[in-house]
Amino acid sequence: MADDAILAHGLTKNYGKLVAVDHVEMAVPRGSRFGLLGPNGAGKTTIIKMLTGLAPITEGTASVAGYDVARDPMNVKKRVGWVAAEVILDDDLSGWENLWLQAQLQRLSDWKGRAQQLLEYFELADRKKDKVGTYSTGMRKKMEIALALLHQPEVIFMDEPTIGLDPNVRRMLWGLITGVNREFDVTILLTSHYIEEADALCDRVAIIDHGKFVATGTPAELKSRVKADFVELETSEAVTEERLAAIAGVSNVRSQGNTWILRVSSAEEVLPRLFHALKTDGIRRINVEKPSLESVFIDITGKRLDQGSGDVQDYRKFYMNLRRARQ
Amino acid sequence: MSTQNATGGLAFPVESVERTELRGGQFQAFYGLLARELIKTFRNPFVIVITLVQPFMWLAFFGGLLSQLPTGELDTFLLHAPPGTSYLSFLLPGVLSTGMLSIGMFGSMSTIQDKRFGFMKRILITPTSKATVYLAKAIGSAVRGLVQIPVMLVAGIAFGVHLQGTPLMWAAWILGLVFLGTGFSAFFLAVTASSTDWQTPGVVSNFITMPLMFASGAMFPSSIYPGWMKDIAAVNPVGYSAQLSRSVLTYGQFTGSDLTYLGYLALFAFVMILAGTVVAAKYLKAE
Repeated sequence: MADDAILAHGLTKNYGKLVAVDHVEMAVPRGSRFGLLGPNGAGKTTIIKMLTGLAPITEGTASVAGYDVARDPMNVKKRVGWVAAEVILDDDLSGWENLWLQAQLQRLSDWKGRAQQLLEYFELADRKKDKVGTYSTGMRKKMEIALALLHQPEVIFMDEPTIGLDPNVRRMLWGLITGVNREFDVTILLTSHYIEEADALCDRVAIIDHGKFVATGTPAELKSRVKADFVELETSEAVTEERLAAIAGVSNVRSQGNTWILRVSSAEEVLPRLFHALKTDGIRRINVEKPSLESVFIDITGKRLDQGSGDVQDYRKFYMNLRRARQ
Repeated sequence: MSTQNATGGLAFPVESVERTELRGGQFQAFYGLLARELIKTFRNPFVIVITLVQPFMWLAFFGGLLSQLPTGELDTFLLHAPPGTSYLSFLLPGVLSTGMLSIGMFGSMSTIQDKRFGFMKRILITPTSKATVYLAKAIGSAVRGLVQIPVMLVAGIAFGVHLQGTPLMWAAWILGLVFLGTGFSAFFLAVTASSTDWQTPGVVSNFITMPLMFASGAMFPSSIYPGWMKDIAAVNPVGYSAQLSRSVLTYGQFTGSDLTYLGYLALFAFVMILAGTVVAAKYLKAE
């Protein structure tokens, strides 16, 4: 379809025995902002690597900006921009020199006017002669977006665009990302493990876990799917699953040690009963999750998104496997 | 081009850009990457100072020590040399040649740095081929290493070496060194193309430098070598470059065999670049 900036069928990536991305179906309309939401190690970055031609596709097909990624990677690369999670610039070169290099790599001839205007747009013009190593984090991030826009890409891939940034810079970037999407007429695919970010920035979100898309839709659609609240509860050891399940309004109980996740019809109604039932036992901590992308994730995977793949051990193992498989 | 704001407000006008879709599209990327290597290298004052000082130290320590040998010993040592030839003037062309051995180390280290800091991904998400990246690194590394030629020559003159040869002969031996440096740089970068380990360039450098330096006739006349070392010297391009340079600089001559040496060096550079490009296109890693 010509109207889709990104199209993927059965997109799969294996690193040895490890399936990093598992038969993903994806259609991103031109001009939209599409988010891949999932914990670290879910396969988000691997999807970007395949779509930009950095990593070969194990199975399935993908096209970006109308070109097949596997068959015609050079034409894809002329039409995509990339903003890395870790901010990748040449720190020894000035802002202007970084733009110059990007222009050479993208084979542009008449780029200086646009480069200057981009610097002005991102309020970097007065620092363009300074080495980018001396820029603040926010400036470096802006510089990266300017580089990504220089060759008029049709699609920009942003990998965890605000990871590790303080809240002010994050807000500033959210404004910039929506602005860039509108004013430069560019499709944006971003990955995030921040619920609020996907909610605030994306027209459509795919929730990804262990390399699979577990749900796709607009943030509103996804939220309306979960017609329940979640109560997260940390208790003393005396509490059993049976006692929690017996409370009226609790439809599902999942546990991780002394932490329980209860799916309830309405938190407002269930909480008083819960307190009553457990009043002699210690409730150490309680947290209510109203319908949100987080609760969608909890509903589907049975765990919180910001906890990664459940426990840290699991997570390390995944990365170790991944690294080993790549060597 | 001015883009339209969705809200109908005043949009920010940004020019559109033209693409140079010449046949040599990769050439522009090559030029950009090569210029980046050189800018980064020579912007560092420390690098410049060390590059300039090191040859002086080499000649001062090594040459100074060996020139203390009794004159009779030296004459037997420097076979066929015109009377009055100092060990320094014998050594200088050799040191210039062995200096090309580890020339690829700079490019190799900068390649590994680009992989580690993710910059290689930035490069490879543009329509730039791996072969282009490899060639820019290899040539950049060679150019950087070739800077030592004029520095060495000045150092040699400062230590009292009388340089022989006509301008044409000079062009020939310098060309030989360029071939040698390019060949080793290409070899070095191909060998380390898939590596992401900081230690690799140093290890590879040590591994190739020692045997090829001693089995080259660059530092001692190859006539004194044992048989097996002569066999290595017979295929070692460093030796051919040393002989060619010595012919011109020390003896002021350019013979038919010197022409053969030059041809051998050109072939060496060509084969290394060709093989390296093939290897790098397959094995150069993004991270």
